[in-house]
Amino acid sequence: MVDMSGAALEFAQIITTAAEEIFATMIFLDLTAGTPLTEGKDDLGCYVTAMIGLSGDFNAMLGVHCPARVGMAIGGAMLGMDLDEVDADTKDALGEITNMLAGGLKEAFAEKEVGLHLAIPTTISGNSYKLSAPSGSNRILIPFDIDAGRFYVDLKYSLT
Amino acid sequence: MNHAEKIADATREIFSSMIMLDVTAKEATKRTSPDFVNSITGMVGLAGTSKGNLLIHLPAPVATAVTTVFLGMDVDSIDDDVCDAVGELANMLAGTVKAALDPGGGDIKLSMPSTVYGDAYCLDCQDCGISVLVPFDLDGAEFSVELQLVDG
Repeated sequence: MVDMSGAALEFAQIITTAAEEIFATMIFLDLTAGTPLTEGKDDLGCYVTAMIGLSGDFNAMLGVHCPARVGMAIGGAMLGMDLDEVDADTKDALGEITNMLAGGLKEAFAEKEVGLHLAIPTTISGNSYKLSAPSGSNRILIPFDIDAGRFYVDLKYSLT
Repeated sequence: MNHAEKIADATREIFSSMIMLDVTAKEATKRTSPDFVNSITGMVGLAGTSKGNLLIHLPAPVATAVTTVFLGMDVDSIDDDVCDAVGELANMLAGTVKAALDPGGGDIKLSMPSTVYGDAYCLDCQDCGISVLVPFDLDGAEFSVELQLVDG
């Protein structure tokens, strides 16, 4: 972990715990968390992203970025079906996982008396999209590995 | 006032007061395709007693033209300045629409804005409740503003 502030470290731990819990109880896939980063490229070589806004005591945008085969593996495991393309089922599943992850963050922050509300999930897909957050916002980017490959959980946030 | 009118009023107000550009609202519709070509979308989440998203979709040439006027600097392709400008536009539009939806000010809060751009991307919403898209004319070019809203 490089130059991670106290807040960033706390955020990274909360995200990792929430992701591990969701994968263990809802998706039943083994998950390995990589080293959290506080910066990274906008283009992570992914084909599908599910994202959801959070607001309240701080403002954020939470994203889950997956290469196509990883998105299909996660969605398929959650839905109990084989998925062979990033179709509406895959996007629904990834949107729901992102919603659950945001719910996990909301719950963990509520225990610290930090209030958050969730917006609704959106999925973005395609071969050539890029995502950008406002200049000056903070970022926690955590790589996770499953058998099908690597995906990323990305929290962009502002404490002001 | 219905949602389409709130979007039209907010967009006219932001464009005329912040960018000094006149825009004309066309008939409200629902987005018929998830696909965008050579475009940029700014989005902001709305969360609280109602939840949803406010999105502005601009073809790249419209986004660069609007940014040039908004920031007072020449831009000819989508770069960090255009992303910041479109994110800020989405934020201002969401703030104005929120004020119409939540006059008391305590029920809905805005998330951080995010922008998506690229040669071709697909944008889907799961369970997005009410979905209203208002197209606007800007000197013969078109962009659109969309509100997705689920009552809590």
